[in-house]
Amino acid sequence: MNSALYEQLDEVVDQILSGELVDSDEFDPIVQELLPFAKSLRILPRPEFRSALLADLVEPKVGEVIPIRSSVLPSLFVASAETYPVHRSNFAVSAALHAAALVLIATSSLWLANHPITRKVTPAVITNVSPFLPEAPTRTGGGGGGGDRDKIAASKGDAPRFAAQQITPPAIVVRNNDPKLAVDPTVIGPPSITLSKLGSTGDPLAGILGPASNGTGIGGGIGSGAGGGVGSGRGPGVGPGYGGGIGGGIYVVGGGVRAPRAIYDPDPQYTDEARKAHVQGVVLLWVVIGPDGRTHDVRVQRSLGMGLDEKAIEAVRNWKFEPATKDGQPVAVQVNVEVNFRLY
Amino acid sequence: MRALVTEPDERLLIEAAQRDSRHFAQLYENHFDRVYAFIAYRIRDRATAEDLTSEVFHQALAKIDQFEWRGLPFKAWLLRIASNAVHDHWRSPTHRREVPGDDLQEPRADDGTEQRAVIVQLLDRLPADQRLVVMRRLVDGRTVSEIARELQRTEGAIKQLQFRALQTLRSHLRSYHE
Repeated sequence: MNSALYEQLDEVVDQILSGELVDSDEFDPIVQELLPFAKSLRILPRPEFRSALLADLVEPKVGEVIPIRSSVLPSLFVASAETYPVHRSNFAVSAALHAAALVLIATSSLWLANHPITRKVTPAVITNVSPFLPEAPTRTGGGGGGGDRDKIAASKGDAPRFAAQQITPPAIVVRNNDPKLAVDPTVIGPPSITLSKLGSTGDPLAGILGPASNGTGIGGGIGSGAGGGVGSGRGPGVGPGYGGGIGGGIYVVGGGVRAPRAIYDPDPQYTDEARKAHVQGVVLLWVVIGPDGRTHDVRVQRSLGMGLDEKAIEAVRNWKFEPATKDGQPVAVQVNVEVNFRLY
Repeated sequence: MRALVTEPDERLLIEAAQRDSRHFAQLYENHFDRVYAFIAYRIRDRATAEDLTSEVFHQALAKIDQFEWRGLPFKAWLLRIASNAVHDHWRSPTHRREVPGDDLQEPRADDGTEQRAVIVQLLDRLPADQRLVVMRRLVDGRTVSEIARELQRTEGAIKQLQFRALQTLRSHLRSYHE
C-alpha cells in the first residue's frame, strides 16, 4: 500500500514540476495532505541565494564607495533641517576656503624654506639716566693735577677758586712775580663749589702744610699730576681724577656734563653656543668714553654668560662716540651700556 | 522565526541597524524566509522571486533610517515593501496581462505566508537523506532516476524518502503549531 502512495506522490511532484494544474481529488487523502508541502518546497530559493544576498547587502565590495547616511551628518544632508536651510553653494564656498587655506600654508612653507630665519641682534642701548639726576653740589667727578717738577711734594692748602674756564693755573710758589697781565688763578669746576679755607693756597689733599712747593707734577698747577690743576690727577680740576672738576674718578653724565652719543655702533655677534641654547638677555657694561670718543675701559656689570659678555665687550670696544662735553669741552665720562641679545 | 525574537529585541536590532548597516544581517536572517515565501507564492517563479526578494531587502536596507516604531512590527513594514515590489512586477509592461487582482491588495496576515516560511525552516530538521532527496527533486527539479544514480539507491528508495520527507515536515509543522 505504501508503495502505491509513494508512486502517487511522485506523480503529483511530476505534475508540480511540469507546471500542470494538479487535481488533488484524484489522489489518496494522505497524498493530498502532503501536496501543500511539495508546492511550498518547489519554489524554494537556490541554496546559495540566501548567503549570496546577505553578503551583497552587508559586505561592501572592493572599491565600492559607501554613501554617508543622513544620520551621520544630518545637517549636511537633510534638506529640511528646521533651523538652517542647506544651500549647496555653501559647499562650494567651504571647499574654496579650504583650498585657499591649503595654498596659503603651502606657499608660506615654501617661502620659509627659501628664506631661513635670520637671527637678529638689536643694537645695544646706552643707558643714560644722568640728565635726570640733580647737579652735585661738591662732587662732579673728574679732577686734575699739576706741579712744576719740584723736589718735594706739594704743600697742603686751599684749592683756588673754581671757574668755568682757566686762564692762570694755581701755584704755591709763584715763579713770575711780575706778570704783564695779572689774572686770578682758577681751576675748572662748578663755581658754586667752595672748599674749606686754610688761609693759604695748596693741595687740599696733601698731607703736610709746608714747606711751600708746587709739587712734583708737570704742566703747571699744584700737586703730583699734570695739566694745570691741583692734585694727583690730570687736567685743570682738583683731585685724583682727570678732565677738570673735583671729586676724583671720571665724570658722570649730569651736573653740566652732556652725555656722549654713539655714532658708530655695530651689532655684537651671537655665539653659536648661546644661539643653540636660545639664550637671550642683556649684558650690562660699565664703559669709560674718553674725550676722543673711544671706549677706554670696559667692565662687565651684569653677565649673561655663554660667551656673550666677551662678544659685547668686543663690539663696544669698536664703537665710536661723539664725546661727552662739559662747558663745551670734551671730557671723559663713565656710562652704563646695555647690550641686548635677542633671537628672532 | 529562526529565533524567538521578542519585540524589544527587534527594536534594539533595528536601532543597531540604523546606526550601522552591518547589524542589518540579523534582521535579514530573521525575515528572509517570510519575505521570500510571500513573494514566491505570488510570483510562482524562482528566479523572479529571488530577484524581487533581493530588491526588497536592498530597499529595506536603504530605507532603514526611515523606519519608525509606531506599533506595527518590522515584518509588516518589510511585507509592505515586498507587496509593492510584486505590484510593480505585475504592473510592468511585460506582465501587465497577468496581474492577478488579489495580489494588488495589502498583505494579509493569514495568507499562508507564515506557514510557508515555517515549512522552509523545518526543512533543516529533516534527516540528511530525506532532506537531500527533497532538495534534489523539488528544488533542483531532477528526476527520480537521476537522484537514484547519484545516491546509488533504487528509484523505489528515492520515492520512499521523498514521501517520508514530506510526512516528516507535516508532523513537524503540527508540533510547531502545538
